[in-house]
Amino acid sequence: MRVVPFPSADERGPEEAWLAELEAALEGTSEGPAAEAWRELRSDVRSLPAPISTEFEQELHERIVRPREQRRRIPRVRLAGWGRWLDGHRPLVGALASCVAALLVVGFVVKPWDRGSVVAVPMGRPIGVRADSAPFAQAKAASSPATSASAVSGAAVPAPGESVASGREQQRAASITLAATSSEVQSVADGAARVAARLGGFVESSQVQVSRGGSSGAQLTLSVPSANLNAALGSLGQLASLRAESQSLQDITDAYDAARRRLADANAERQALLRALSAAVTQGQIDSLRERLSGAAQRISAAHDEVQGLSRRASNSQVEVTVTGTAHASAAGGSTLHRGLHDAGHVLAVTLTALLIGAAVLVPLALLGLVAAVAGGGIRRYRRERALDRL
Amino acid sequence: MDAQAFDALYRGSVGDVHAYALSLLGERSAAEDVTALAFERLYRARARLDRGRGTPRALLFAIARNAAIDELRRRRRQSPVELVEEAHDVDPTEAIEHVERRDRVRGALAKLSLRDREIVLLKFHGQLSNVELARALGISESNAGSRLHRALERLRSACLELDREEVA
Repeated sequence: MRVVPFPSADERGPEEAWLAELEAALEGTSEGPAAEAWRELRSDVRSLPAPISTEFEQELHERIVRPREQRRRIPRVRLAGWGRWLDGHRPLVGALASCVAALLVVGFVVKPWDRGSVVAVPMGRPIGVRADSAPFAQAKAASSPATSASAVSGAAVPAPGESVASGREQQRAASITLAATSSEVQSVADGAARVAARLGGFVESSQVQVSRGGSSGAQLTLSVPSANLNAALGSLGQLASLRAESQSLQDITDAYDAARRRLADANAERQALLRALSAAVTQGQIDSLRERLSGAAQRISAAHDEVQGLSRRASNSQVEVTVTGTAHASAAGGSTLHRGLHDAGHVLAVTLTALLIGAAVLVPLALLGLVAAVAGGGIRRYRRERALDRL
Repeated sequence: MDAQAFDALYRGSVGDVHAYALSLLGERSAAEDVTALAFERLYRARARLDRGRGTPRALLFAIARNAAIDELRRRRRQSPVELVEEAHDVDPTEAIEHVERRDRVRGALAKLSLRDREIVLLKFHGQLSNVELARALGISESNAGSRLHRALERLRSACLELDREEVA
């Protein structure tokens, strides 16, 4: 019986040399009985298990390798390359899909562009007023005519194209805030005055402050026909970047009716006094009636002025225009190019905000996933190694 | 790795992977499962093959090793492990000396601990270099060399011991 001639301990050098000798023997680059013994041992170990069955090998080949080959032979459709690329980059595709999903969630749930300054506010529509709140507010205004309606409080303000309630006298007012560069404040203020004049209105008051290097701004009070209020707001919004806009409405029907009644009463009183004067016979009666007629004339004049004033308030609307001057031209954007750049910057900011929010959600999740994956891998490795010792 | 390379790897490795799994698990069906799993996982991981993670063959055997150990752990949870290597038909023309020597190696392998046995099987069935062996085991090259050294020493001692017993 032959003894397998393993290399003896005496022939072995340090561990590295021993391993190098083993490698050389197994690779067939060294000769000698020791090398032959290693090759023989490897051959014996490799011959111990039963060979793989042909059926299994074929079946596995059909299952794993053949489908890839067949897929290769199929004429490629246009997306085949993309499909293969996607198939090979599943983690990246998954990450991208997660980003898109996060952006969609941010877009439709968080809506970052709904916050802050208003850029794309429909002209004439008060900020913060829900469309569905209008009927309720209209009814409220009708039942309480003296109620002051403001955009901030969410009360009723007619939207563009809506007319005021027929048969009622209503006073409308609006305020608009525009942003321009410091150098453009004056031209924007002039433009506002031109808008008022063009629409049949006028400038009630104006205050423009322009300073180099400091804060600039303008404050104008315009009076425009109520029928042209929406047109005026639309034109004013075109002058510079719109920052805020609001409208308010006050029903003055009762006050108007009362003034008209007072005027009618005064007129009636005057008529009665005139009739009495024509019938007077004594000087005392005549003097007394003339004195009373003088008082009645004053009351008529006052009532007439009041009716005129209320009528003016109903037919004209006050528009408070505030122009704020900023140091950066991009923030204002008076011209089309500036506004375009400003809008582009805003879109970019919104996109970055959405990406930031998405990243704020995804990055911690990804880190947690990474930590879990690393920890999971470590635990699996540890369990496998421990299993080797226990089994 | 393209389909041709994968096919070549399959044809050149499937027998060795199966032999390694069968030697470690001692059961043909389990070995076939591990073999199939290893190739499936390698195909899914083919995109990472070009990133310095070793040769495809080394990665294949690393996957097969993990799958085989997982199978052993699963069996241990279900019932005590009994590693019985399936015998296969002996070639009647083979010299009796060869048969005896192989039986001795089989017995010596059975005496080794699972940790020693798996590194010997990985080395001989996988025909991996020491660097590849280290990558497959997830340890350093020097550590892999030391473990291989110790395992082969023990295998040699077990063979000599069995030989002495037969002589006696």
